[in-house]
Amino acid sequence: MDRLDELENQSIYIIREAYYHYKKLAILWSVGKDSTTLVWLCRKAFLGNVPIPLLHIDTSYKFPQMYKFRDEYSKKWNLQLIIARNEQALSSGMKSDRKLECCNALKTEGLKQAITQHGFEALLLGIRRDEHGIRAKERYFSPRDEEFQWNYQDQPPELWDQYKNQAQEKTHIRVHPLLHWTEKDIWYYIKRENIPVTELYFAKNGKRYRSIGCVPCCAPIDSQAGTIDEIIQELETTTTSERAGRAQDKEDTYTMQKLRALGYM
Amino acid sequence: MLKPKPKLIVLSIDGVPIDLLKRLMQEGVMPNLAELASHVGIRSMHSVHPTVSCVAWAGYSTGMNPGKHGIYGFIDRQPNSYNLMLPNSSNLAAENIWQILSRAGMRVFGLNVPSTYPPKEVNGILIGGFLAPSLEKVAYPSQESDYLSSIDYRIDSDAQLARRNKRAMLEDLDITLARRMEAMFHYLQKDNWNFFHTHIMGTDRINHFLWQKMEQGDPEFYHGFRDYYARIDRAVGKLLEQLDDNTPLMIFSDHGFCALKQEVQLSRYLVQTGWTIPAETIKHPLSIEPSKSRAYCLIPGRIYINLQGREPGGIVPLEEYQQTREQLTNDLLKLQDPDTGSQVIRKVIPREDIYWPSTSHGPLDLPPAQVATHDGTFGRAADLIAIPFDGYDLKLGLAGKTIFQKTQLEGMHTYHDAFVIARHVDLPTDNLEIMMLTQAILKKLAVEPPVDMDGIGKAVTPVF
Repeated sequence: MDRLDELENQSIYIIREAYYHYKKLAILWSVGKDSTTLVWLCRKAFLGNVPIPLLHIDTSYKFPQMYKFRDEYSKKWNLQLIIARNEQALSSGMKSDRKLECCNALKTEGLKQAITQHGFEALLLGIRRDEHGIRAKERYFSPRDEEFQWNYQDQPPELWDQYKNQAQEKTHIRVHPLLHWTEKDIWYYIKRENIPVTELYFAKNGKRYRSIGCVPCCAPIDSQAGTIDEIIQELETTTTSERAGRAQDKEDTYTMQKLRALGYM
Repeated sequence: MLKPKPKLIVLSIDGVPIDLLKRLMQEGVMPNLAELASHVGIRSMHSVHPTVSCVAWAGYSTGMNPGKHGIYGFIDRQPNSYNLMLPNSSNLAAENIWQILSRAGMRVFGLNVPSTYPPKEVNGILIGGFLAPSLEKVAYPSQESDYLSSIDYRIDSDAQLARRNKRAMLEDLDITLARRMEAMFHYLQKDNWNFFHTHIMGTDRINHFLWQKMEQGDPEFYHGFRDYYARIDRAVGKLLEQLDDNTPLMIFSDHGFCALKQEVQLSRYLVQTGWTIPAETIKHPLSIEPSKSRAYCLIPGRIYINLQGREPGGIVPLEEYQQTREQLTNDLLKLQDPDTGSQVIRKVIPREDIYWPSTSHGPLDLPPAQVATHDGTFGRAADLIAIPFDGYDLKLGLAGKTIFQKTQLEGMHTYHDAFVIARHVDLPTDNLEIMMLTQAILKKLAVEPPVDMDGIGKAVTPVF
């Protein structure tokens, strides 16, 4: 069995485990390459008919190409799509001039509202360990408390294929079927399976997006990689982090908040 | 037998003035420090201009004056624009002490020292501090974030909390300190370090937010303030127990503190006196109308001439540079506290009097035109640096309505009264300033300092 089969098998096993355990389960679909790969794996796990709804937290600031992609493939793949927006925050004019607050209101709060409204006990997410140092501590089944906080110090042990999948009331479980994949694995798999992804990932005029989210908070990287093969080749030699294009703005916003509190702004 | 490599331990405590420390030692709040000081003495030390932590620590890290390392404050101008930037260690124009020692093959450790984020690659571990946004980015090597997460390490206390709830602030400071000390002792045992530096930031915060309550013996917060210092002293005691008496050790602060009488919105004063014309919508401290502004300022007290040919929309001709600086100086010295009528700004220093560029070791006697158009890091300094009387904290306030105001802040930084306690480390006998510590450390560890480094016997910042 080759490496991609192994990754795929393990992910499908976790997806099926989750489906078996949770009555109220949803797949969080950001329309990026990772969560689209997750959707693809769910289609495989259930032989083309995904019995789990897809939840898209819509900040209203995603790229137009992402909305087009979402609508096209949710129809083509016959997916139950739930679109959740924090309308209250949007109508109060929340936008990216206050980035941290904007993310909090439109993403975190938006998700909280959707969880409450639909009574989800668990969510499937496409996060991977190699995205961040801190995610190295993540579990396949990872509890979140009422405040959405993740307690590093209280992580359930995960030995072989034994997962702690029970959670207390008012908490929810995040399930991470792609945790063991790397950025390159994703691209090799996308290539092998011919999974569609938005055109934003491919270089146009010397720029491409390596990671996508909301328009105002994403910067493209310099790149000539116009095909999947070229992207894989680029990843072999890069020394910058996958999310580098997304972090800086927020980092500056964080710094400014901190300086303001101390009276330096 | 191999000769053991030299070793040096540093514990820095942000913003602690020597008088406060002496008082707390005498009153039995800090017995361990008092015991140490009774053997090796305690001295006062000068900080940097402007007196803010990022500049002081950039000076310590590099052993250079700001004209060489290029960090002049928490915010700065992007080159050739009126846009704001937030400098960090990647803007430091010189190697830091951890890099210098790493090159000499030393094992080095740094924890929480301001101006070290993002952490540079070193022969050891460097964990950034204040302004590092998250544990996953704070450390070199990055895997250290796993350990830090496992102890729920906090990079910094929450200053927003301090503005809302002082009780909660104290609790937050205690937890932050406890985790920091836990990390310090963990790492101390982990390796045979040649250079080991841990920084405590919370004293600066408690001084900013509780200074007057401490001075006035506030029933609710007086003891909380002293307890915090007592906790630090217990950590010092534990550290001393783990070191043998011959281990070279330095404990020091980067600047002093005093009570804050008024926050002075200096940008607003420049607007009132017609030097700065704000842009129609003020988004940040540099939102000015360049075609009408002759000067503008950044925090604290850094004043720039909007010079033709140097600034993208400069209007002051080069020939008028010196004369403009003199007029501006006169206006600044006229600023008075409306309550007492006393003068607010003690001195306005031209940049060339306290900063000097690479390859020189002390202020240069340059003609104004050369000062105005100098290149490199020196050329990015403010043209004038306003030094306030103690009690008047120079802020920004371009969009403010008043020049003077009082907020939650109760204390402000001072230049002349940082402290040093040094055991088995030789320091210059006169005019001690924070940037001189670096050479002393290198000397102790028998590492040749870079030629451009300032310090012992050569570069001394004139005292105004």
